Amino acid sequence: MIKKILVIFRKDFLSSRRDAMAAYIMVVPLILATGITLFAPGLNDTTVKLAMLKSDDAEHIEYMEQFSKVELFSSMDELERRVEKRDDIAAIVPSSNSYEIILQGNESEIVEEYAVQLNTLYELGATKEETTARLISFGRTVPPLKAKLVNMLILMTIMLAGMLIAMSIVEEKAENTINAINVTPISQTGFVMGKSLLGGVSALLGIIGAVLITGFYDINWFMVVLVGLTSMILSLVVGFLQGLSSEDVMEAAGSVKLLFLPIAGSIAVYEFLADKWQWTMYWSPFYWAYKANNLILSKTADWGTVLFCTAMVLSLSLIVYFATIPKIRKGLS
Amino acid sequence: MKLLSNYLKEMKIAARGFYFYIEIAMAVILLAVLLFVVSETSTSDSKQFVYNDMPERIAEYLKDRSIEKGEARLADSTEFVLKPAEFGTKSQETGETTAYDFDDEKVVELETIEVLDSSTGELEETVYYAETEEDMMRLAYGESEIGAIASMNGRGKVSYTYYLQGYETDRLKNLLYISHSKSPGVIDSKKDKQVVRTLGAAETLNNRENLVPVFIAYMGSLMGFFIVMAYIFYDKAEGVIRAFAVTPSSIWKYLITKIFVILTTVVVSSSIITIPVMGGQPNYWLFYVFLIITTFALASLGLLVASFFDNISKAFGVMYAIMISLMLPGFSYYIPSFDPLWLRFFPSYPLLQGFKEIMLNGDAGYVLAYSLVFLAGGSVLFVLANIRFKKTLTV
Repeated sequence: MIKKILVIFRKDFLSSRRDAMAAYIMVVPLILATGITLFAPGLNDTTVKLAMLKSDDAEHIEYMEQFSKVELFSSMDELERRVEKRDDIAAIVPSSNSYEIILQGNESEIVEEYAVQLNTLYELGATKEETTARLISFGRTVPPLKAKLVNMLILMTIMLAGMLIAMSIVEEKAENTINAINVTPISQTGFVMGKSLLGGVSALLGIIGAVLITGFYDINWFMVVLVGLTSMILSLVVGFLQGLSSEDVMEAAGSVKLLFLPIAGSIAVYEFLADKWQWTMYWSPFYWAYKANNLILSKTADWGTVLFCTAMVLSLSLIVYFATIPKIRKGLS
Repeated sequence: MKLLSNYLKEMKIAARGFYFYIEIAMAVILLAVLLFVVSETSTSDSKQFVYNDMPERIAEYLKDRSIEKGEARLADSTEFVLKPAEFGTKSQETGETTAYDFDDEKVVELETIEVLDSSTGELEETVYYAETEEDMMRLAYGESEIGAIASMNGRGKVSYTYYLQGYETDRLKNLLYISHSKSPGVIDSKKDKQVVRTLGAAETLNNRENLVPVFIAYMGSLMGFFIVMAYIFYDKAEGVIRAFAVTPSSIWKYLITKIFVILTTVVVSSSIITIPVMGGQPNYWLFYVFLIITTFALASLGLLVASFFDNISKAFGVMYAIMISLMLPGFSYYIPSFDPLWLRFFPSYPLLQGFKEIMLNGDAGYVLAYSLVFLAGGSVLFVLANIRFKKTLTV
């Protein structure tokens, strides 16, 4: 049985070199991981931007640059045009003996608060040297937003693998390969596993590569592999169910779109809803995968929680799989 | 006339398929999410763990004063689980390091205060008061939030020691330092004298409305790119496209019919989401013009990409890369301080901003200008796709 599954896996691996399916699943997460590494510092630096006049006092400009990203303009017209653009930026300009703050009017409240606070401190002559505050750091270097993006990338890789498995099965159906399998010594289950293994293994390798590229070296790799393996099973189940339940490419595309809902819902509930609402997504294996990855990437995971989350991913995936066995059989027949 | 009969035929086929109904179902689900899950006002999830290193009666007095002044309100106490943890800390000023190792697990119930915005009364931050310095540190580390010790010296002045995660920017650290260089009373009275001028009475979208442009742009126009490709590959697999080579009908009519089907689906699904949430606020003429033109442009891009591949598996890499890159401007939409110049060159940037302007009933000039850009770009892409399909079709 294992040998036959591996034969199908090998056949798929060889044929995938022609249409680069496995390469997509592996390479796309790596490219995106490189993108996250490049953009994460900019995303993390959410300091408020200030517009100032070039003619302003050099010492004033230097003072503000300690706390915000300062953009300089030659004239008031230019400065006001900048403030009126679509992003959030406040201006601080000289006005009689003091300064005034200029806003477009639709900025988030924090922009006004920040600009007012800074101008107040400047006018009071406040300096860092006279502070009474002390700062102590836990020494973390990875911003939470980067960990969230990597976690989303992992879910997208699972989805990508599922999509590709689904598409390849729909194509196999169109080419009548599936019917041909019924007259070979391989069982339907063996075909299911062998057909999906390539996508799953590629997804696992893609996830590990992406985690490495984004700089998460000192996380618990046993946990990563455990969650990765269960995620692999999840992508296999998702892909195979989508592929077998879809009669054609259009239906598979529709299923892919539907799959966005539990994924986006799981992330949104985990990130934005209060603890009392978390249960609303307990049915989604993506929720548990996201939670486990989040704990691992933020280095706050303990084995008990990770094992529970992976058990949930596995159980929910298998429940869906076994509940849809009749549909799978029908799809294979 | 031929075009109309093609369109009607394609719509009949689409209505028999599964996909058309998925689109409608998705729109209804998203509408339900917007109406019943997303609140109109955004709530801050900013947290801080504080340990008061001062006599209890003074700490209570300070809290009561904030509540009386309307700056804060008392909330229900919150339960936290402190898990075993091992971590180190480093002082920013002295470089002194300390290692901590907690191997017990305990449950703590913390007094909770919600800090409110003085002008709007909305929640600004939730502050949890820990009973010991160790609990505060473990919570700040475990929850990845800011921790603080508020201490009172012999002269009755309160000073703060902040526990940061380590990835905060130097600008934020500088702000924390300087915010504690003058007494709070002096800062507050000076703040009240600040002159703030707004350039116009700019409208804003509430938390719920702010999601509508994202749903329309990504689930509508952008999906047109993906779905038109799926339609083409479906027809390729069925041999429909090849059949066109031996019919008197021209290929461009076939391609434009596919786009019309997508447009119909997108217009219906986008209306389901937009009208109940936005009511009469947007300029609907502009909305449908922009929606149709942008969907046409992105669907034309999909046609051109599809013309280079035999099936959807082979096209997947390019398709996925384009879709992901088109999603990037979403970061700028949600994080306005992240707005690099290069991001503005992605077509989805004006797409999102255009829909936002429409929802606000704002800058019609911006929307019309980009409608022209999308129309011109979409037309060029459509012509190129038509040339490609003509070249690659053989009997």
